[in-house]
Amino acid sequence: MTRSTRPAAAPLAGAAAAAALLTTLAGCATAADAGTDAAPEAPSGAEADTSAVYDDGTYSASGEYQSPNGGESIIVELTLEGDIVTDVTVQTNANNPTTERFQGLFAGGIAAEVVGKDIDTLNVTRVAGSSLTSGGFRDALEQIKADALAG
Amino acid sequence: MPSPADAGDAWLFEAIGTAWRIDAARGLDDDDRSAVLARVERFDRDWSRFRDDSLVARIAAARDGGEWPLPNDAGPLLDLYERLHAATGGRVSPLVGASLERLGYDATYRLRPSGEPVPAPAWAETLDLERADAGAVRLRTRTGVLLDVGAAGKGYLVDLVGDLLAARGAVETVVDGSGDLRALGGAGIRVALENPANPTKAVGVVELRDAALAASSPSRRAWGEGLHHIIDAVTGRPVGGIIGTWVVAATALEADGLATALFVAEPAELEAAFDFTWVRMFSDGRLEASVRWEGELFR
Repeated sequence: MTRSTRPAAAPLAGAAAAAALLTTLAGCATAADAGTDAAPEAPSGAEADTSAVYDDGTYSASGEYQSPNGGESIIVELTLEGDIVTDVTVQTNANNPTTERFQGLFAGGIAAEVVGKDIDTLNVTRVAGSSLTSGGFRDALEQIKADALAG
Repeated sequence: MPSPADAGDAWLFEAIGTAWRIDAARGLDDDDRSAVLARVERFDRDWSRFRDDSLVARIAAARDGGEWPLPNDAGPLLDLYERLHAATGGRVSPLVGASLERLGYDATYRLRPSGEPVPAPAWAETLDLERADAGAVRLRTRTGVLLDVGAAGKGYLVDLVGDLLAARGAVETVVDGSGDLRALGGAGIRVALENPANPTKAVGVVELRDAALAASSPSRRAWGEGLHHIIDAVTGRPVGGIIGTWVVAATALEADGLATALFVAEPAELEAAFDFTWVRMFSDGRLEASVRWEGELFR
């Protein structure tokens, strides 16, 4: 039986960590993109602080961490233009195939996550995204995640 | 951003497992609201896979099959499914109910696969539809068949609700069934396309005038690694690689069905059979849009 041992939100959490890494490097502690902490269920980022302004340019940072396979590192590079991320590259330096696979998934996830403009800066009356889910679905999903952590 | 102020005249409610919002220029009185809720309830009672008293549940439970007069709204819905089924080589099908249950997306939200993915049964061998002149449709089954109209059903219901309100005299109406939206009237509204990987960001903006927009993404209905509700009927497996699609079409029925179809078919195959414009987003953040796409894209 296939069983999920990873919450669906894991790529977002990973990307948030990378964003924090970049913030540290840029020397700007007021948070790069507060929206990256939003749970997938959050309907919008209305409360996120998006007021910070950044200089155009390319920023990069590297990070080291301990995986179950030993020490690993990644390098993230962002290009900013007019406060919009226009490009992201994540260079993975995996020491073994399993780590390489997960780093690859993560690299794809972070690139997708930063694409676009902050919704609260746009003059729109509606937002079109995937359907919001019912309480029943969300409760069941929470139970799955709890079981995965316990198991 | 939809401001709290402009939610003042909006009617917000929950139905068929998601959030709805309706705006109408003349406002909606209690009779309008009762009529909408009754229409939604009737649709749910006919088509829902998530309640055991629905027509769909009764059809599934009839192990030896049976003959079923379908509700009046079945014709356009099944016609669209038939066209999508043909245009996608069978990858969009109303017969994916058992495939979704296998993956764990069942009426009790088990959310755990109960085995290897199962393909949907073949349409020709399973769905015997007989259409009468007045548009009535009869279904004959030989075994228990679990229908799932998730690919286009909600968009269709958005149309049905919009039509109902128009018949009651509402004008400049926007029916938003969360992800499927129909703007009736010439006023036009600006809609942000939410980044499925980050709901605080928009990957584009489009203006809708007397048209429908559907957004589709596995992002909110995923329950594990590679497990979500958008599946290929031929394999019974969730589709990877694409994380979001948006379609503008004349009706929300078409927009919704096509937004799902873009996960399993090449846009050109669908453009040959339908009149619509589209955007799709890949898991690495790449955006692709139809040549005729008229909105903005941020990429």
